[in-house]
Amino acid sequence: MARDVRIDETVKYLEKEGFDAMLAACNGQNLFLDSNVVFVFSGVRPIAESAVIIERSGRSTLVITPGWDAERAAEISRTDDTLGCDDLADGIERALKKIKLNPAKVVTVGLVTLFAETAKKIEKVLGGKRPANDGFASQIARVRNADELAAGKKGTWIAERGYERLREIARPGMREFELTADLYCYMKGMGAEDNFLLLSASQHNLAVRASGHRKLDVGDIILSEITPCYKGQFVQICRTTVIGEPSPLLREKYKVLQDAMHRGQEKAVPGTKVKDVANAINDVFRAAGYGKYCQPPYMRVRGHGLGITSDRPGDITDDSEVVLEEGMVFVMHPNQYLPETGYLMCGEPVVITPQGAQSFSERDAELDFIPV
Amino acid sequence: MKTVHPSIVLGAYTWEQDSLPRDEFQIRCKDLYDAMDQNGWKAMFIYGDADEHTALAYYTNFVPRVRWTIAMIPREGEPRLLVSMSSRDMPAMKLMTWITDVISGWQWEAGFDPWIAGLKGDAPIGIGTIGMERMQPRLFKSMEKSLGDRFHLSEAQGFDDSKRPLRPRELSLLRESCEVVKTASKAMVKAWRSGVNAEAAVLEGERVARSLAAQDVRTLVSLDGGKTLVPYRGEFKPTGDDIVVHFAVKVQGFWSELFVSASKGPNRYPKVEAALDALKTAVKPGAVGEDLFSKGIQALGTRAIHPVLTNSFGRRIGLSLDEGCPLRADDASPMVAGNVYSLHTGTRDDKGGGIASAMVAITANGAEVLCDSRDALKD
Repeated sequence: MARDVRIDETVKYLEKEGFDAMLAACNGQNLFLDSNVVFVFSGVRPIAESAVIIERSGRSTLVITPGWDAERAAEISRTDDTLGCDDLADGIERALKKIKLNPAKVVTVGLVTLFAETAKKIEKVLGGKRPANDGFASQIARVRNADELAAGKKGTWIAERGYERLREIARPGMREFELTADLYCYMKGMGAEDNFLLLSASQHNLAVRASGHRKLDVGDIILSEITPCYKGQFVQICRTTVIGEPSPLLREKYKVLQDAMHRGQEKAVPGTKVKDVANAINDVFRAAGYGKYCQPPYMRVRGHGLGITSDRPGDITDDSEVVLEEGMVFVMHPNQYLPETGYLMCGEPVVITPQGAQSFSERDAELDFIPV
Repeated sequence: MKTVHPSIVLGAYTWEQDSLPRDEFQIRCKDLYDAMDQNGWKAMFIYGDADEHTALAYYTNFVPRVRWTIAMIPREGEPRLLVSMSSRDMPAMKLMTWITDVISGWQWEAGFDPWIAGLKGDAPIGIGTIGMERMQPRLFKSMEKSLGDRFHLSEAQGFDDSKRPLRPRELSLLRESCEVVKTASKAMVKAWRSGVNAEAAVLEGERVARSLAAQDVRTLVSLDGGKTLVPYRGEFKPTGDDIVVHFAVKVQGFWSELFVSASKGPNRYPKVEAALDALKTAVKPGAVGEDLFSKGIQALGTRAIHPVLTNSFGRRIGLSLDEGCPLRADDASPMVAGNVYSLHTGTRDDKGGGIASAMVAITANGAEVLCDSRDALKD
C-alpha cells in the first residue's frame, strides 16, 4: 500500500531528525498545481482546514473540520484515528493531548498555507514556532504508485471521452459556458470528482481561459484544457478544435506544436533535467522562427506537475534544475501563441519511463475540426 | 454549508454591465472612501480568495477563480488588482471587473512595490485592510517586507459583519439566483422521481444550473437516507426511497440555496416542515437569533436539530453562502430590513433524516419568501 510506504518514509525522517511527530495541515482549498498534504497522508480531500498528525511510532490521526464531516472522513481515511472539530487549532490540541505528545518535538508541514489566524493559533498550541519542512509531502509522493497510475489512466480516459463529447455537441450559436456545463457534468458522471476545465474560443486566441458568455461561431478555434481529477489524481489533455475546415496555414503551424511535443517526450528520460526538456521543446519553436515567443505572455510553461498528490516535478521551464525520475507524472504541453494563428494547444499527461515520456492518452492531440 | 472546494471556479464571470453598471460600484466604494477619510488612510487593501471573497467581489466585481487576489484602492489615484495567476491570464481577468489595472501577483515586488510607492504622505502612511485574516502567512511576509516602516496597516472595522441592507439591484440579482436554484432543484427531484439514484439526480440539477449560467454550484447529498450529507463521490449507487440534498448556486455573484428532502413513501419528518413554517412566520425586523432558535427547537419537539446544521436554524446569505448572523441560541443580533436570510431546519434518527429550508428577504413589516424547499417538490 502506498500509504504504508509514505508513512514509513515519514517515520524514518522523524527518527533521523529527532522529531516525535509531524503535523501536516492544509486549508481545504484544492489547487491542481499543489500537493494536498492531508490527502497524501489520509486519502481524504477535506472540506475545510484539516491536518494529519503522524507519530514516530507510525500511528496517524486525521483532524478534520467541519465536525459534521467526521463520519465521511473516518470512513475514507487511511489514518488510524479521525477527530472531527469546528476549529482546527482546538482539534489539534485535543488530538495532541489524547496521544500525549510533546508539542516541542513536532515538525510542521503546510502551516504556511493556512489562514494567518489559524496558523497563529496552532503555533500557540505547539508552544511556539516549530521547525517546518513544507515540501515534505510533495517530495515523498513525487513518484506515483500503481494505484495512482491506474487512477491517472482512468482520468485520462475520462478526459478523452469529454473531448469526444465536445466534438459531438459544439456548434455555432452555442455559448461557451453552455458547452462547459455539459462537458463538466458529463465527465463528473463518469467519476471525475473535480475538473480544472478551461475552455474558450476565438478567431485568434491570446490564451485559454475559463468560459464566458461568448457564442461559438464558424471559424472559431476552440481551446480546451480538460483536466479531470479521478480518485485524487489530476490529469490534463490540451486540445485545439476548429469550427469548420482548418486552413492549410493552421495545419502547418499546428504541426510545429506536435513536433515540439514529440521532441520533449523523447528528451524526458529518467535523469534528465527539466530545463533540458523545456529547451528541447523551445528549440523546435526557435527553429521555426518563433524564439521570441517562447516566453510569457505568449506561453506560460511547457508543462507542469499535477497536484493534490504531488506537484513534482513542478513547472517545465528552461531554468528548472529538477531531475526527472522514472514514474513521475506531469502534463507536457507546448501550448503556444503564434502570430499567424493565435494561441494553440497540444498536450498530454505523461509518465517518465526509460524510453521517454509516455503519454496516457489513447489518441494524442491532433488539429481537429467540427464540420459545418 | 460547505462542500469540497473545487480546483477552479469555472462559471462565466464576465462583468455584466447591464445588471451592475459602473455607477453601482461608485456607490459601493463610498464606504471605502468614508473609512479612509475617517481614519486618515491613504488606501485600502481588500483580500479575497477562491473560497471567500465577499468584500472583494462587492467592491470590484472580481472573483478569484484560484488562489488569491488583492484589491488596492487608493483615496486618490488608480486602483490596482493583484491576481495570483500568470501574466498570460490577465486579459481574461480584466473581463470581470471595472478596475482596468489588473496585473499578475506572481512577481510580487514588481506588482506591489511601485504602486505603494505612489502613495504620498508622512510616514507611517495608514492603509486600511479587509479580509487579511485569511491571507496565508508567507504572502503576508512578502507584504510586510514591501511595506517596511513607511506604511502601517489597520484592520477596517464594520466591513466583514456589516448589517448593510441589500440595494435594489442586489436584491434583483438575488431573486434571479433563487429562480435558478428553484429550477435546478426541481430538475433534480424530477430526475430522482424518474428512477435515477441520488448522485445522478443531483448531477442533473447541477447540469441544469450551469446551463442557466450559474457561476458556481455546490452540493451535498445523503447516501444514507438523510443521516449524513457528503460531497460528491461519483459512486452512483442506489440510495433507497429518500433523498436529502443541499443545493447551492451562485448567479451574478449572489448565492441561493435549498435543502431538499423527498421520499417515495410517507413523510417521516413532518415536524421539520412545521419548524420551517414557524421560522418563516417569526422572521421580521428586530427578530433575534435566540428567539428564532427557541421557536425552531419547540417546533421540532423531542427531536434534536440535525448535526449538519451545526446548532443553527439559519444565517445571512448573499455574496457569500455564509454571511454570518447565525440563528443560534446565543445570537442576539436583530434582523434588519433589506437583509436576506437562509432558514433551515432538520432532524435525524437511526433510520434517516430530513432537512428543509427557505430564503427570506426581511421587509419593513415582515419577510418575503424568495424560495422554499417545497418549490423543488412541485410537479
